Amino acid sequence: MTDFITIAIPKGRILHDSVALFKKIGIDCDELLSDSRKLIFENPTQKMRYMIVRATDVPTYVEYGCADLGIVGKDTLLEQRKDLYEPLDLKFGYCRLVVAEPAELSRTDDPSSWANIRIATKYPNVTEKYFAGKGVQVEIIKLYGSIELAPLVGLSERIVDLVSTGETLRQNGLVEVETIAEITCRLIVNRASLKTRHGRITEILEGLEQHL
Amino acid sequence: MIPVRNTDAPLPKGVADFLPEKAAKIGYIQEKILRVFELWGFRRIITPLLEFQDVMALALGDNLRERMFRFDDRQTGKLLVIPPDITPQVARIVATRMREYPLPHRLYYSGRVLRHAEIQSGRSRETFQAGVELIGLVSPEADAEMAAMAVEVLKGLGFDGFRIAVGQVEFFRGIMDSAGFSPSSRELLREAISKKDSSALREILEQEPVSDRAKEEMAMLPRLFGGREVLAEAERVVGNERSKRALENISQVLDILDIYGVGDYLTIDLGEIRGLDYYTGVTLEGFVAGLGEPVCSGGRYDNLTTCYGFPSPATGFAFNIMALLNAAERRPDVEASKTGDFLIFNGKEDRREALELAKRLRRKGFTTARDIIRRGFAESLEYARKMNILYMIVIGAEECADDEVYVVRVADGKGVVLGTGDLSRKDFPERFGPLQGD
Repeated sequence: MTDFITIAIPKGRILHDSVALFKKIGIDCDELLSDSRKLIFENPTQKMRYMIVRATDVPTYVEYGCADLGIVGKDTLLEQRKDLYEPLDLKFGYCRLVVAEPAELSRTDDPSSWANIRIATKYPNVTEKYFAGKGVQVEIIKLYGSIELAPLVGLSERIVDLVSTGETLRQNGLVEVETIAEITCRLIVNRASLKTRHGRITEILEGLEQHL
Repeated sequence: MIPVRNTDAPLPKGVADFLPEKAAKIGYIQEKILRVFELWGFRRIITPLLEFQDVMALALGDNLRERMFRFDDRQTGKLLVIPPDITPQVARIVATRMREYPLPHRLYYSGRVLRHAEIQSGRSRETFQAGVELIGLVSPEADAEMAAMAVEVLKGLGFDGFRIAVGQVEFFRGIMDSAGFSPSSRELLREAISKKDSSALREILEQEPVSDRAKEEMAMLPRLFGGREVLAEAERVVGNERSKRALENISQVLDILDIYGVGDYLTIDLGEIRGLDYYTGVTLEGFVAGLGEPVCSGGRYDNLTTCYGFPSPATGFAFNIMALLNAAERRPDVEASKTGDFLIFNGKEDRREALELAKRLRRKGFTTARDIIRRGFAESLEYARKMNILYMIVIGAEECADDEVYVVRVADGKGVVLGTGDLSRKDFPERFGPLQGD
């Protein structure tokens, strides 16, 4: 079992992009796109194993060594700050982590005068660090989804959230005020795996890099 | 009696009670490690469980300094800490109490340390460490000795797919300091390198007003891991003297490790800069397949005893016993460490024979317990099974003559009649034939 390389991949669009990318280096994992409810897939001939997990859990599986490799958005990595290697920017899954507020507020708002503000977000650690760097005191309300709702119902004045096209913000009357980080998907590697299975992992890394 | 529910006697997060089965395995692993330390001529040192916070902090990096358990000392009003690491204690002891001893010091320790862990990370706050310090030697031979011992321990514990990752933090420092990177970017560079995050590194470098040569040196760091060829690659690119000296030093260490015959277990990583505020030369970390965290780590720390007024070069490393246990727990020899040899079941009224037999077996080195509670054979056998005892000896069974006992193999309940003298012979298990259901 231990000569298998295990990759943790999140559900959703990233899964499709990942399968397509691996295919380019001859790693066939189309099975992952089937309508199955299985969470773990094996390809014995290529000695590969794939785990399908929640995006926010990918770093945990890799940090503990249950998976050798993982694919995950930089936003999750910034938020969780795990002890991992992040050798490859896979370039897909592009979006931005932004501060947004209601359009009405934004007309008169001056970000340079923010002193203490209230923010709703899925990313409390990133938010705290970002505003601490600006010298702004921030009260953070952690939410698990539909962050855009918070300013509409007065839970917070502003939000920190991921934006790709900006459509959700627009439809809820919010505008971007500041960009915290540009986000893409990363290939992450467990520290022990990189050292103990250096040959196979380097081969995968170098292969992928040629197709980015 | 009032029933006590588990929730009425909770334990703080991050610590654990180790019951006999697990404790036996921990003891087994510890003994194997300490035996190797002793065979290499290291002598044990026992450090205290309390230190003054200000004294301890002198020799700690930022990371550990923030993770100490602190409280007030009623006797002095000063802050006390439970040590988060034993190496600084050894440095203090060497610098203050062992100044007059001839060098080098070869010291080892085995103990527990406490560190605060992140909430809900599932991480333990208590760590079992067993480590060595070799103090007073600047020579690459000392660094090689550390890596060779680490290999010997891991081989002795039955691992094969393990690697000792060897680094040299001076290589990185040479690049960082010769190029004049801006203070604001130094921390970012450190972080990107320690994550091998080439894309972040590239972004930072694009904005830095340093020479292309320096950028090229920095940019290659995330890739400088692998076999010995890494050194040649580094040599080609690197220009500054400090990094060159680091390369020469690590290559001397590797040459000596080749003589030790452990070259196959090594991997090189020049981009490894964990513990940069602590280490001053060659570093090492041991990894076993399938376990995410290192099982041992250490390196050269030439400045540590200076913190206590006694400058002396030093190197050392420590094993994380719980990490080793996680990796080795299921292996037969480790599994076997929790078993006992005999349980004596006395079918006679007179206890004399049972006590005599127990005494003889213990003298031969067999663990022997007596089931003193009066109960039936079946219950006694069940007890033996739960206590992981291999054989139950029945004294006074019908089928036995004088000087004979009925011995039951607990695993499958199979019994044979043996002379009491046979029991101390190594080959008595063969009399039972193959294990049923195996």
